Formats: sequence, C-alpha cells, structure tokens
Amino acid sequence: MTDGEILNADRIADPWGPRAPFGQGADWQPRVDQVLTVDEHVVDRWVSSACVMCSYGCGLEIAVAGDRIVGVRGRAEDRVNHGRLGPKGLYAWQANSSSDRLTAPLIRRDGELVPTDWETAMDAVVSRSKQLLDEIGPSAISFYTSGQLFLEEYYVLAMLARGGIGTQHLDGNTRLCTATAEWALIESFGADGDPGSYTDIDHCDALLLVGHNVAETQTVMWARMLDRRHGPDRPHLVVIDPRRTPAAVEADVHLAIKPGTNVMVLNALLHEMIANDWVDHPWVDAHTVGFEELARVVSGYPPERAAEVCGVEADDIRAAARILGTSSALVSTVLQGVYQSHQATAAAIQVNNINLLRAMIGRPGATVFQMNGQPTAQNTREAGADGSLPVQMNWQNDDHDEALARHWKIDTLDLPHWGPPTHVMQIMRYIETGSINFLWVSGTNPAVSLPELARIRSLLAKDDLFLVVSDAFMTETAAMADVVLPAALWGEKTGTFTNADRTVHLSEQAVAPPGQARSDFHIFTDYAHRMGLENREGRPLIEFASPEAAFDDFARLSAGRPSDYSAFTYDKLRQRNGMQWPCNEDHPDGQERLYGDGVFWTHADRCQSFGHDLTTGAANESDEYRAHDPNGRAVLKAAQYSESYEPPTDDYPFRLTTGRTVYHFHTRTKTGRAPELAAAAPDMWVELCPQDAEAHGIAEGDLVKVSSPRGAIHAPARLTGSRPGVVFAPFHYGYWDQSDDPDRHDRAANELTLTAWDPVSKQPTLKSAAVAVSKAADGAGPAVAPQTAASATVTEGGR
Amino acid sequence: MNKIGSLIEQLHDAEVSLAADYRKVGERHAVEHDLWYGCHTVAQQCEGRAEQLRAVADRYGDKVAAPHDSEMLRSLMTHVRHAGSDLIGRSSSAGLLMLRDLRHLYTATEEVSFYWVLLGQVAQAKRDRRLIETVDILHRQVLDQIKWLKTRAKEASPQILVGR
Repeated sequence: MTDGEILNADRIADPWGPRAPFGQGADWQPRVDQVLTVDEHVVDRWVSSACVMCSYGCGLEIAVAGDRIVGVRGRAEDRVNHGRLGPKGLYAWQANSSSDRLTAPLIRRDGELVPTDWETAMDAVVSRSKQLLDEIGPSAISFYTSGQLFLEEYYVLAMLARGGIGTQHLDGNTRLCTATAEWALIESFGADGDPGSYTDIDHCDALLLVGHNVAETQTVMWARMLDRRHGPDRPHLVVIDPRRTPAAVEADVHLAIKPGTNVMVLNALLHEMIANDWVDHPWVDAHTVGFEELARVVSGYPPERAAEVCGVEADDIRAAARILGTSSALVSTVLQGVYQSHQATAAAIQVNNINLLRAMIGRPGATVFQMNGQPTAQNTREAGADGSLPVQMNWQNDDHDEALARHWKIDTLDLPHWGPPTHVMQIMRYIETGSINFLWVSGTNPAVSLPELARIRSLLAKDDLFLVVSDAFMTETAAMADVVLPAALWGEKTGTFTNADRTVHLSEQAVAPPGQARSDFHIFTDYAHRMGLENREGRPLIEFASPEAAFDDFARLSAGRPSDYSAFTYDKLRQRNGMQWPCNEDHPDGQERLYGDGVFWTHADRCQSFGHDLTTGAANESDEYRAHDPNGRAVLKAAQYSESYEPPTDDYPFRLTTGRTVYHFHTRTKTGRAPELAAAAPDMWVELCPQDAEAHGIAEGDLVKVSSPRGAIHAPARLTGSRPGVVFAPFHYGYWDQSDDPDRHDRAANELTLTAWDPVSKQPTLKSAAVAVSKAADGAGPAVAPQTAASATVTEGGR
Repeated sequence: MNKIGSLIEQLHDAEVSLAADYRKVGERHAVEHDLWYGCHTVAQQCEGRAEQLRAVADRYGDKVAAPHDSEMLRSLMTHVRHAGSDLIGRSSSAGLLMLRDLRHLYTATEEVSFYWVLLGQVAQAKRDRRLIETVDILHRQVLDQIKWLKTRAKEASPQILVGR
C-alpha cells in the first residue's frame, strides 16, 4: 500500500466515484476503492492481482481470510488505476464462492449430465478426439476459448491445438469483442498492440470517442477522463454514438449517428481535415503511405452528404472536425459501436487515419486506442489462441512459420499455415455441414453470445457433434455439453494477463479452487499428455511443470516481436506488478509508447499480415505486398461507405443495437452471481426513445415484443435518449436464471441478431439487425433498468 | 458503332452479366453467410462499373443501354435459390458445389479483367487522362474481386477436399 485515501466504496449508486480533478500533464491522485465483507483485522493476507472484469485492467489486491476471498482493494501504486475500482471489480469476485460452482466433472449418460471423476471425463474427451483424428484427421476438431483465461493457458491451448493436433480450428470469443481492434492495428501499423499509454488521457487536449460507451465498459478509464474534464485546461470531447451515453451527455460535440453509418461520418471528418489542410504533411510524407488515395476517396464525402445519411447536422460534423483538426494532443478511442457494427474494420481504420494525418501517435497525449472489451483479450491474441499465430507471427511468411515450428520443435508441415486460423462463425458453419465433429468450449458461452441463437442452439445440439465445455458454472452452453469440466476461476490460479495499454499483471493464486475444479492450464496440459502429443524429438510436446514455465517459454518465443516479453519474469512482476510490453534488453522496465520514432511494423519481413482489401476481405499475397513494401511506414487505408447488410424495411422499421450495462459482464456468469450487481440490473429490458414509443402506444415499463426475421424477445420498455429509429437491447440476459421455464427462448438479445461478419476481422456484426417493435402488455410501473448511465429515463426537455 | 464503342459495350455487358453471376452464386450459397453478403457487395461493384462505362460510352459518342431486369422475376428467382440453399446447405456436397461456383466466378471475372486491360491501353493511346484514372481505379477493384475469390477458395478447399 502507498498513499491514497481508502474508500469503502459504493460503486452501485456512483459507478465512477468522487471527482479528483487534475490538469494537463499533472498527476492523477490515488484513491483506494475497497470492499471487505469482514473486519480488516480478520484478513490473513492481501494477494496481488488485477481485475478481470474489463480491458482497462485495474491493479488490485485480493483479501483472504481463512480459505476464502473476503474482499478486494485497488492498488494505489498501480500505473493503470491509481487505486480505483469499478462496480464489477469491487463486487464480481463474490461469484467465486457462489453455491452453484461446478465442483466435479459431468458426463452425459442417457441424455442427462451426471457427476463423474476426472479420469472418466478425460477418457471420454480423449477417446473421441483420437477416434476423430484416426477416422477423419485434425480438420474434424475445433476449440473455442475466451478472453478471460490467462496468457499461459492460451499459450498451451494454441500449442496443443496448432502444434500438437494440427488443426486450424482454434478461435477465441475475442472474435466477438476485439478482433476488429486487432485487425485495425495490423492493417494500419503492421502489427497488433495499442500504441499508446493510459497516461495519454492525462496529457491530451482533445478526446474522440467512437462507438465507445466508456462510462459503462471501462468505468475507471471514464473516471480518468472525467477528472480531466473537471480540472483546469480540460480536453475537448467529441462522441460518436447513437445512444445518449454518459460520455455523450458530457461531450462538446455529440454525433448521434444512425447505427451502421460509421464509415460515412468518419470519411466526412477526414474530408474536413483534408479540405482545411489540418494535415501534418511533412510527417505524413515521411511516415505513411496511401495519402493520395485516402484524399481521393474522402473527397466524395462532404459533411452535407454524411449529415443526410447519418442523420446528424453538417455543422456538428464541421465542429467535431475542427476540434480534431486543431487540437495539439488528440486521444481517439474505439470500441464495439464500431467493432460490432457494419464495415467494422474499415471504420476502425478511419479513426487510425484521423490520428495519422495529424501525427497524433507515439508521444504523450497523442494516440489512438483500439480498445479491447475483455480483460485478457490481448493475450488470446498474442498467444495465438484466436485468429492469429503466437507473437504476431504472419502465417503467410515462411520464415515466421519456421521460427514457430522450430521453437515448438515440430515439423513446419505439421503446423497448419495454408490459410488463416478458422474464425468461430466459420467453425459453426463447418459444424453445420458436419465436417467438424468435436468442439471444446473453454470459459465462454456461445449459446447466448453468438448471433442468431436459434441456429446456434441447433448446431450445438447436433448428434454428430461432441461438445466439451470447461467452465466454472453450468452455463447455457455447458447444459448442452457431452462432457463438462469444472474450471478454476481468477484468484484460484496463478498467471498473467495484459490490458489494452499493454500493461502486464501477474495474478497470484489466493485460494484453492472448490471441490475438484482445476485451472484451465492444468486441464489443457493434462489433455495434451493423455493425447500423447509429442514433438519432433519424441518428447512430450508440452512439458511445462507450471504456468511460470509456460510464461518463460512464451517470453523466449516473443523476443524481437512486437509483444516482446523477453525481459519479463514472474519475479520482476512480483517486484513491480503492472509493466508494459515490449519489455526487453532495450526496455527492461517496459516501453510506455510505441512508434515514437514513426517507424511501424509494416516491413514485409516483420509485419503480422500482408493486409486485406477492406471491402471484400481479399488477402494480399507476399509478392504483391513486397512490391509495394511500406517498409516501416504506416498505411493509410481508405474505404467507401456501403449500406448495412440489413437496412430497415416497412416490416422491420427499427435498427437494433445491442450492448452492455455498467453492472454486468457478458452473459452474467459472474456478475449475475454477485448480489449487488444482480440487484442493480436484475432483468432484461429494451430501450426506445419517447417519440418512437409514443408512436407505437408504448409507455415506460410496458411489455414490448421486439422481433426480427430470426426471432422475437419480450421485455419491458425503457424510454431513453437514444436517437429515433433505434432499439437498444442489453446482451447480458440468457436463460440460466429464468427459473420458470429455461426452454422459453424470448429473452436474449441475440435471438434477434444477424449471422454476418466483417470481411476483414470476421467479427460478427451484432449491431445491424432490422427489427419491429410492438406493445405486448401493459406494464406495472417503470422498467427495472439502471438509472445511472445510458439506460437512464429521459424526462421532458431531454434528461 | 466504332471499335472503341464496341469494346466499351462488350465490357459493359460482361460486367452486367458478371453482376448477375455473383448474385446467383450468393443466393445459391446463402447459408455461407459471407458469400451471400460478399457476392452481393461485389455485384454492386460490377453494376457500379457498368454505370461508369455507360458514361464513358457517352463521352465517346456511343450509347450503351442499361440492363432492364424485372424486379419481380429477380426476387422470385432469389427466393427459389435461397430455399434451395437451405435444403442443400447441410449436406457435404454443398462444399464441392461452392468450389465449382467460385471457379466459374474466377474465370468470368478474369475475362472482365482482360477487357479492362484493353480499355486501359485505349485510354493511354487516346491520351485520355480522365479515362486513364477511371480505368486505374476500376481495374484495381476487379483485381481485388479476383483476389477475394482466391482467398475464399484457399480458405475453404482444405476442409472441403481433405476433411469430411
């Protein structure tokens, strides 16, 4: 513990805590947020860790009394949060001791899941795997993992799937949250990894938030921005979001665009920047390629055109562009309003372009954050457990493939590198055609989180699919499994994870997992041994005695790559928890910002990918890239606007957008089991603006039916400040706690969503369905939705 | 019609028929959701190029007729192919059919690309700066379409041909 007032925090009523205003470049004062369920003197020890409830990645300590977790407090000295914690971080740990934790393996017998022992469960998993390998080959086997395990767990999974079994079919649920962040960074800068530091918020004089409801997704990050806004020389704030989020209310310019029109409004902003010559030409000439093509394309997007298509005022677009064009230190941030919307990668890249045109990268206060959603999504990506090879290796680069194979001591031919790793929507399609017959889901819940749930349920239930689920709880997906493996949670195992500004934390084991539950690391390494996976020398492929050994191996592999961990050790992180990569000989304490020298990872020998056509997703080949090698310059990629895949019609006149509330994470497997969080947002709702509600005879709290061509849900209506024509539905609510009838499927937002994905990042376009709304029944009072954030009721005159 | 006019007309008609081909394939493989959306996006690009070619023809004093299609017939055929896609979508032969259709699109798009090469040479020989720029931009689009087909076929073929 260092300085910082300790606050026994109530982050339910006040998710962001009291203001601590500070000026440009000043220090953000620490404040320690703490929740303890026992008296402090009863606490046996405080265990160093970080929060796993969002990608901001706050440093914290876990309080242990007896053998139980009894609370948490923020670490005042942590570079990320200076002691603060948000509502999910303060309360969600209670799920660890929930009475309905899975404590024994389960196996399906005569149609029912019944308890069994590890030997029997693993035997079933291994014998089916071996049978399929013999009869069909690696192409029949697939894995779908999470953004919430630890780096070491992803690394052994990538190693066993890609290097051992030899399948292309390994993806993470990061595909739903940050695949577009990854690909926007790769296409513009040559490799994954956010260039900036959270301290850039302290130094900036302008903030651009695009589709980023930061107040609810990363509460402590928003607290930092708000503290700057309340201090002297406050930064300007531009927000692009169809909803009236807390950031939109705070903004100097709020562009409440129609969902699906991001590229249009961003091209108009670029149009204005170029038309007014708010361009750092010497820097752009020296450090980028593609300016002329970008200028040509955006010349077709004057503000008047965008105003009409996006449904905003042309003068507001000009005002926003003036802020972006005349600021001296601009921080831009992007999240799901871009990533899960139409033209995801194309739009995210235009935000990179805004920063690049003004050389707003690589120095204090100037950066773009392609944010992550989940706490460990960065590790899914850098360990190669999603659509990438480990450590930003380029599968189209033979030297990279060989280096990886050499490190794993396998034959390069045994490493599948004839195409990109298979993304989850394609895995589902292969399950549909019967060509994948084995799916192992770890730490995620596709039966609620993937689009078009009726289809997903029918695929997961197929007779020719063997479904393995490792999880801590009986999720909707686990309930469909053939084998369920009880997994340890955060706090019950040791490992590392990395947030969106590349800060690596070591999270130590605080307590033992309940019953027979095991860490995913233990489960995966056990599977590799039982499968007899060997390297070229006839030794076991995976021989790590501990997560630390896997970490060290990963660190060696990463030397010289963008996510360079080569000078990281557990010991170093125990000395100082929370350090940024790259951490190597040149930067033994980590490097705060990337690209300060204007040299990017785009050289043909070093880049993570040869890039794609943004419209079709066509992949460039090596020779083609080498012919125009950007050779260290950033790539300005232009994109033409196109209309949403499913525009509104007479039958389905509304645009549906889905998203989070501040109190829940994903499908509530943890937050729904923390009493304070569950009570703060107990049940489903849908949001409409008052004008649309009135036109359909709907009052606050009335039960409404929302339907799309794929399904329908019922929920109480909340009248909010969203723009007209938009319906918002939180995606947290599935069926595990629908006690009256778990088989009635009219609650989850993804009953409505569309099976479609971005051509480059392959991220599902969850925010682009057309829906109809009608009143189903009178309500008995207001909807029970939170009043603290974007779901707040609007009153006369706006708010 | 002069020789240039007739080249533009042939290219125009090839683009119109290519657009129809992409739509047909998209509809036939509607359960491959990326093909459904991708083929329609590409078809729109083909139609956009056809429209620009009509403007080029105007400048060269020729008139190229816009395609006239029956919206009702097109919608009916879409429905029929889409329903067919649902029926065969879960069978393993759907993959082979898809590869065949991708191959067909590949050769048809290559043919269009060849015409653009010729038009590019015409633009140079006529010292027509505007046309040079137009061809440059639109031919790159055609090449991206070819690349897309190759990307998609490379991704799909191991699973279809080697897997179950």
